[in-house]
Amino acid sequence: MGGKTPDAWILKSAAMLLALLVLLPVAVVAWRACGDAGDAWRAVVEDRLWGHVWHTLLLVGAVIGLALLLGVPTAWLVSVYDFPGRSMLRWLLLLPMAMPGFVAAVAYVDVLAGLIPFYVWVRQTWGIEMFLNVQQWVPWLFAVGVLGSTLFPYVFLSCRAVFSQQASGALESARLLGMGGWKGFFVVGVPMARPALVAGASLVAMEAMNDYGVASAFGLTPLTPGIFRAWGEGETVVAMRLAMILLAMLGLGLAFERWQRGRRKFAVDVSEGFLGRKKLPWWLGWGALMVCMVPIAIGFMIPGWRLASWAWTSRETAEWAEHLRAGWNSFCLALGAVLLVMTSAFLLVAGQRVMGSRSILVAQKFGLMGYGFPSALVAVGVGAVVLWISRNVPGAGWLALSASVSGLMIAYWVRFLAVGIQPVCAGFEKLPGSLREAARTLGERPIGALWRVDLPLIRPALVAGSILCFMDVFKELTLTLVLRPFDFETLATRTYRLTDEGRMAEAALPGLCLVILSLVVLIPLTRWMKGSEE
Amino acid sequence: MRTIRNRWVLVGLFMTSVTMLGAEELHVYSHRHYEVDQKVNALFTEKTGISVKVVNAEVDQLVERLKSEGASSPADVLISVDAGRMQRAAKDGLLQPVKSEVLEKSTPQAFRDTEGFWYPFTLRARVIVVSKDRVKEGEVKSYEDLAKPEWRGRVLARSSTNAYNQALLASIIAANGEKEAEAWAKGLAKNFARPPQGGDRDQIKAVAEGLADACLTNSYYLGVLLNSTDPAERKAAEKVRIVFPNQDGRGAHTNVSAAGITKHSKRVEAAKKYLEFLVSDEVQKMIANGTHEHPVMMDLGKAAQLEKWGEFKADEATFSKLGEFSTTATRIFDKSGWK
Repeated sequence: MGGKTPDAWILKSAAMLLALLVLLPVAVVAWRACGDAGDAWRAVVEDRLWGHVWHTLLLVGAVIGLALLLGVPTAWLVSVYDFPGRSMLRWLLLLPMAMPGFVAAVAYVDVLAGLIPFYVWVRQTWGIEMFLNVQQWVPWLFAVGVLGSTLFPYVFLSCRAVFSQQASGALESARLLGMGGWKGFFVVGVPMARPALVAGASLVAMEAMNDYGVASAFGLTPLTPGIFRAWGEGETVVAMRLAMILLAMLGLGLAFERWQRGRRKFAVDVSEGFLGRKKLPWWLGWGALMVCMVPIAIGFMIPGWRLASWAWTSRETAEWAEHLRAGWNSFCLALGAVLLVMTSAFLLVAGQRVMGSRSILVAQKFGLMGYGFPSALVAVGVGAVVLWISRNVPGAGWLALSASVSGLMIAYWVRFLAVGIQPVCAGFEKLPGSLREAARTLGERPIGALWRVDLPLIRPALVAGSILCFMDVFKELTLTLVLRPFDFETLATRTYRLTDEGRMAEAALPGLCLVILSLVVLIPLTRWMKGSEE
Repeated sequence: MRTIRNRWVLVGLFMTSVTMLGAEELHVYSHRHYEVDQKVNALFTEKTGISVKVVNAEVDQLVERLKSEGASSPADVLISVDAGRMQRAAKDGLLQPVKSEVLEKSTPQAFRDTEGFWYPFTLRARVIVVSKDRVKEGEVKSYEDLAKPEWRGRVLARSSTNAYNQALLASIIAANGEKEAEAWAKGLAKNFARPPQGGDRDQIKAVAEGLADACLTNSYYLGVLLNSTDPAERKAAEKVRIVFPNQDGRGAHTNVSAAGITKHSKRVEAAKKYLEFLVSDEVQKMIANGTHEHPVMMDLGKAAQLEKWGEFKADEATFSKLGEFSTTATRIFDKSGWK
């Protein structure tokens, strides 16, 4: 019906344009990767490529492993058993989400440096070969530990939802049939949670692949830092090719999961019943509490405490003016990105609702894809576009990477559009269509109905999306490091740089700001989730 | 009448403010981020009335910035801590030559640009620091010694992506040729007591703590530790000894802090004054006692710490090749396993 009005035509083409913009970085990278890299690429293939790929596989694999190890048992314990502190743990276990990996790394880098007496002891006890080997592996333990313990809440959240709701009926039946404890966990719990496990683990894998701060703090060189290095050295084509390899690895990972799942279906009836939590004897209960406290301690309490005490001792010597300037920059960037993302998300989702147009639905799906692109790929793709425009379009010199935040804004938009689309979609799904129909019957045009009826009703979803998007941009490091203008710092890049220079005590303050702000956002968000759970 | 007079006063004010804006502010793009540099700049303002506005960043970023700004760049002076970078900046047409008797008199010919595109103002020797307990006098005499098999598991150096290591390797390529240089980098990487991590200061501390017996570092980092306000750092520095390498041969690899006037500077006279100020006795003394770098004319009398270390022979022969061999150096590092 609305398809014939001029409004609709404009909306449709705007939506398609947005979708194409999301694909732009990948297209540019794919195209430039085919260019001539000369000797530089041969050198990279000979000397570095295998190391980058191997480090990426090892890091991502180990981080997924650790996240599952920390996330699944804790979700099981708090869903199925009753023990002291259980209700607190339900949200305490989310705290590590507020601790970005590169901030937690600040607190562990100097622990690593402080291990020298241990290494010397190893050398004296087991000789030089063991001494050299141990030093190769210890940084890995740290990097995997930091990433795993700050990312496991993704697994925890998705599994908790299964154990305490979807699988509760099956678990209750199993229990009635005499299958409790470990057996129930392995025979009923884990298989039913498989899709949730995979969903959580894929988020963890993506974050680990996109990480730059933690890997470089501990001296590992997976692909993301490799792409950065090539880009920094001016080897654009090499950077593009490495980015394509990273994308290919991501694609292979997804394909493997599809293939492995085969044609099995994982349908579950939601809320089949309510699982009565089994009370644990006091000693087991305390054991469960201890188990749950381990990841909270590693991923939040220890780094948080160290950061806080450093921030406190350095409060007088801290470069407050610089911190404030960086904070202001972070704030402005995040605000700008939120406006861009939410406007386009609303346009894409609402446009599709109003017109039921397939083409806008396709555009929306494209928009969701951006979240899956590796950050390093988006960074170099957008970087190349901005550089090209600033050099080749007369009068566009101000766009140059060193001079403006335009590149950053596009990159944030590409990466985080999905963060806006999802809540807006969910918000619209809850609306009864009859409301808008009524408005239309009363003579409103489609756009008018959208503006005056739908918009006010989905305001909570818009707010939720804005908060999520704000947070994501506020603590973003990887894109920001590549695309930020010259002499321009955010709290995240400042934390990273000061750590890199070995000034951990000074890095604590901006890092802590990021954590506190994340916490402020996390609290209403968990409330909101709790509300929707009940 | 009154309004007319007011108008002239306004015009006058406007003109003076324009000249103040135009001539009295110097824009410096600098890789150096030391406390003493701020004091030096304040002193320059005090003496000349010209205020100094500094933008700090990695030199590669600064160079990129200069390139993209082109003729509209506000920068007047480029400062870096690597001769190779200055040689390339001059080659890329980002700097302009300066003729100055003061600069020629106060800088050594071996360490400055032949055409005057840039001038050095401090010398930075890359030295070997060894444990006093575990390394005998004369046990290590050259960079080449550190790559010998008897040093397996005993040597430390920071990452090969660092400019100081790249310049050192470029000098070794210039002195011994590419093949020898590659063998050296491989040999040294085999001798590492740990995969490269941290800065030069961390390597010295690790030697003091017993993780390794020797490390590569710029000399002034040891000076900083010896004169630290932190007693633990002073104690660590007391456990090690400085070795100026290759004294029987080409000399210790020595880089410079250097300054040049940008191609599109609008305040060439002020910039020249600034360059001359940097090599003045007063500033040279401030820097030698602040960062513990060597004065550009090597007059050790300016700082007690440097006098204690004594004179050394600096590698002059390879200096002009540092920029030329820097890409080869990166390539060799990648092949060598030196991370």
